[in-house]
Amino acid sequence: MEMAGTTRTPEVKINSSSCAITGECYPEDISEFSGPVMEALRDNLNSSDSFTVTVELYYFNSSSAKFLFDFFEYLDKTGKEKQIQVIWKYRTEDDAMEEAGSEFEEDMENVSFSLEAIN
Amino acid sequence: MENETLKLHELMISRGTFFCYSGPLSEEVLTSLSGAVKEQLSDSEDLPVVKKVFGIFVEQAQNIIRYSVDRLDQSGVGSVAISKTEKGFMIEAVNSIDSKNVDKLEEILKPLTAMNKDELKSAYKDRLRSGPPDGSRGAGLGFIEMARRSSKFDYDFLEHNANTYFIYRGWVE
Repeated sequence: MEMAGTTRTPEVKINSSSCAITGECYPEDISEFSGPVMEALRDNLNSSDSFTVTVELYYFNSSSAKFLFDFFEYLDKTGKEKQIQVIWKYRTEDDAMEEAGSEFEEDMENVSFSLEAIN
Repeated sequence: MENETLKLHELMISRGTFFCYSGPLSEEVLTSLSGAVKEQLSDSEDLPVVKKVFGIFVEQAQNIIRYSVDRLDQSGVGSVAISKTEKGFMIEAVNSIDSKNVDKLEEILKPLTAMNKDELKSAYKDRLRSGPPDGSRGAGLGFIEMARRSSKFDYDFLEHNANTYFIYRGWVE
């Protein structure tokens, strides 16, 4: 599954071994964006034993925070049965996205979650 | 000489307002405005400041779009402005609301004014876990998000011309 990025939604690529989300996320209606993403994530995770999720966001609004929370909650739940690795990438000087990543990390118990600074 | 255009110009310049939008605000308009706001901010400031100002701007704009009771099709009518002041950037918004919602907004906002950084973080996470409250068209996180991003904020409710106006101002140092 591939979704091209727009001004207000990130690019999403999901296959049987990985999921990559890159860009900004503050859509008009978050459910229109999150619905297909969660569906593709479920379908692909079902058929794989190990999975890597890379999230590189530059900005997300408060409505999208709820999507990300649900997204990571689902990964953490699934992480009990499968090997899941999450890489949260943020620009070195972007302390807001670094903080956001570490806050999601706090709630993760069953996946390997790492923060990675990029230039 | 009294000239309204000149008065508007001088008012904006004198208060350091470099961005202002007044009128019907839709998600499409917000998409366009976002580019302009980012462009204006990107020149002079460091990334964390830009992100905070932009984040507060988006939350304010979406509040107007979703909750202003003065409506035109899908748009909510209101004003949102960004100024450079002595106390840092000020991001301000005003729109009319239903007077019945004053107490509800007060109930949400009053506690936030007294919270420190850690308490705001807890409130944010609690809200994420519990889901949006009744009447929210988003995640119910907008005001907590703005409080977290601003160095300080204030708000007011004003009765004017038979309308109730909700005013919110946030500062980023």
